[in-house]
Amino acid sequence: MAVAWPEKDDHELLALVQDGSHPAFAELVQRHTERFYRLAFRYLQNKEAAEDVVQDALVKLWEDPGKWQAEKNTKFTTWFYRVVVNLCLDYRKRKRPVQLNDEMALIDERETADQAMMRREEQAALEQEIAALPERQRTALNLCFDEGVSNQEAADIMGMNLKALQSLLMRAKTTLKERMKSYL
Amino acid sequence: MNQNDDDKLDSMLRLRRSQAASPDLAARIILKTQGVPQIQRFRLWQSLRQLFIELHLPKPGYVLAAALVLGMFLGFSTVPQGSSTTDSHSLNAQSFLTDDEGLL
Repeated sequence: MAVAWPEKDDHELLALVQDGSHPAFAELVQRHTERFYRLAFRYLQNKEAAEDVVQDALVKLWEDPGKWQAEKNTKFTTWFYRVVVNLCLDYRKRKRPVQLNDEMALIDERETADQAMMRREEQAALEQEIAALPERQRTALNLCFDEGVSNQEAADIMGMNLKALQSLLMRAKTTLKERMKSYL
Repeated sequence: MNQNDDDKLDSMLRLRRSQAASPDLAARIILKTQGVPQIQRFRLWQSLRQLFIELHLPKPGYVLAAALVLGMFLGFSTVPQGSSTTDSHSLNAQSFLTDDEGLL
């Protein structure tokens, strides 16, 4: 009988991966690669680097699935976001910051050339200021403004309570408002 | 800082530029891990779980085993009332035999 992989939850799939099931691993990869990539991209601002980090993280998971311990009552995604964040931080330490690429900016077709240029400038300034924030503030921002990650989950990922996370976010936003004054 | 600044900053943060991953990223990862051996770790909990799976009995088996254990427990914990009587009977018989030998 064919196994209905999409019906299995992450924990069931991980138990199978720990027993050596490659199809279960493939289902996990299909299910979560995009969201882990999005987070890595927020950190690294570079497509190739973000893809490398996500690939590295998932290959490590396959090689040593015993690192995941279901008994600790953590959601797989919460745990794995932490893995991805740590790998992104390592990556940034090892390599120099990646230059922003103008072509990657969001372009709204209704915008005039001037507006598009202004938006690109605004985005570049914002990324620069975010990159200059202290590590934990940047992590909090990246997690909370990434779709699908609630503040509580972000706090779990960072290993802190909700109030501490909100305080970090507040400080990050205050700094950004100050530094981005001319664009607000 | 006014509310407008807050809202504008929030919207800028939400609209941060992004670039979609390559459509084949997941497939590449899956392909890369094919044939890669896994590190086998000895985990106590999993080994115990495996042991219980190996020794799995159908439900009636558990009921029977539980009934036997309960029966043994009750048997050992209840002192049979008749045992002292039996002992005293055998004592009487012995004393009767001794008495008989005495006559001889």
